[in-house]
Amino acid sequence: MGEALEESRVAPERQAGPDLPGPFAVGTYARKLQGWMRERARVQLIGEVTGVGRSKVQAYFELRDGEGAIPCAIWLNDLEKAGLDGAGLRDGAEVVISGGLDYYPGGGQASPNFCFRATHVRLAGEGDLIARLEALRKQMRAEGLFELQKQLHRPVLPKAIGVVTAERGAARRDLLAALERRGWGGSLIWGFAPVQDRHAAPAIGMALQDLAARPEVEAIVVTRGGGSLADLWAFCDETLCRTVAMLRVPVISAVGHDRDSTLIDDVAAVACSTPTHAAEAAVPLDCLAARESLERSVVALRRAGEGAIGTRSRHLGALARGPARALQRERGKLNQKIREIRAAAERGLTDRSASQRRIGTVVLERARRRAVGADMDKRRDALHRAAVTLRAHEPERTLERGYALVEGEGGEPLTSAAEAGAAERISLRFSDGRVRARPEPDDAA
Amino acid sequence: MDESERDQSPTTQPDSYEAAVERLEEIIDRLDSGQAGLRETLDLCGEGKQLVTYCAGELDEVGAGLKELRLDDLAAKLDTASDVS
Repeated sequence: MGEALEESRVAPERQAGPDLPGPFAVGTYARKLQGWMRERARVQLIGEVTGVGRSKVQAYFELRDGEGAIPCAIWLNDLEKAGLDGAGLRDGAEVVISGGLDYYPGGGQASPNFCFRATHVRLAGEGDLIARLEALRKQMRAEGLFELQKQLHRPVLPKAIGVVTAERGAARRDLLAALERRGWGGSLIWGFAPVQDRHAAPAIGMALQDLAARPEVEAIVVTRGGGSLADLWAFCDETLCRTVAMLRVPVISAVGHDRDSTLIDDVAAVACSTPTHAAEAAVPLDCLAARESLERSVVALRRAGEGAIGTRSRHLGALARGPARALQRERGKLNQKIREIRAAAERGLTDRSASQRRIGTVVLERARRRAVGADMDKRRDALHRAAVTLRAHEPERTLERGYALVEGEGGEPLTSAAEAGAAERISLRFSDGRVRARPEPDDAA
Repeated sequence: MDESERDQSPTTQPDSYEAAVERLEEIIDRLDSGQAGLRETLDLCGEGKQLVTYCAGELDEVGAGLKELRLDDLAAKLDTASDVS
């Protein structure tokens, strides 16, 4: 701009001030500036479209990302050629623009305007976003921001969980259903935020910070349903992701589907594929299963306690009964011996008694024999003497000497004359026979 | 385990539910091994019962039914409270 600008130099007044060239006429400076800027290299820029407006001939907007923004403008016919006329160029769209710097110097009534004059615009493709995402990812990983959240403690049974999601999204319903299936009934604090436009990332970041500031919140879930990478781009916002990395509360991300990978997944403590998985990560403990497990523990403890006492009690009981059993056993043995002895004694007595009886019998017999033998001799002698005496008195002896015995008819002895006189018939017995007779009265009598 | 340890260990409050469950599993493993003597068994049972009570209390705290709150409402209440004070 040097020579032309020098021509526009106005003769300076000698006044105190900075020692700089000029002063120059501003209009000339402005036109020179316009030329200089248009000579700058033409480039492509990628960013999010915000503040879209239209005049009769051009559309203007800002292209921004987390680091900064540039005012842009594109002629409507160029926009039409790009196929983005109408609603194609909208707030929140990730676009790639081609063009270069431009400057409108303005005029007497018109205001000057600086912009990036886009001659071509297209919606950012997956490849553009992935390339940008990878650059961010590389930078943040190098700064160690991916590790901070993963070092936080995650309780298995949080009492309160924060959730950042869209108020009317399906993710909200899925998350609730999963938590109820696990039997979790704690406090759920919803931090509703837009999840897909240029306001999404700041709103999500604000909700996360507000939730993390609440002392009762022990984990935060950030979730939204699936979509293209452009739809999910708010979750790749660098400012948002840096905010997440610095939170004191573990953040569980569940953004998009399995194949989607956003930057917030990298910085979060846990990245899940669905809201259901996020619920399980936020409350790792299945409360229903935990209650059952606890009941089993109670049974195991009771069994161990009672078993320990019972087993030892039985053992002690057995030990306590030992001496008594030993005594009983010895007493039994003793009784058995006593019975055996008694039986043996009885057997011995019987045998001895029989033997003694036999001996006694023999002795008695011998004694009897001895005793009886002497007596008999005496008796025999006496008897003999009596027999001799008796024989001497027998009637036959008398009859032999010539006497006769008077007997009655019945053979009875008649010992008097009266008896004989009274009998009708008598018998006279002699030693050699009988003679019958009839008594006659005695006249002399 | 001496007398002071017996007095202290059962009354120590667990740091967290997971710490309580981990200790409870250790206790049950020890009891199941059959190597604990009578005194140790009774001590472990006592400690285990306290841990079960603690865990049941923790589960009860999240067993009353899911309570949904809105961050906006909580912030509004906080603002109201600060205005009043």
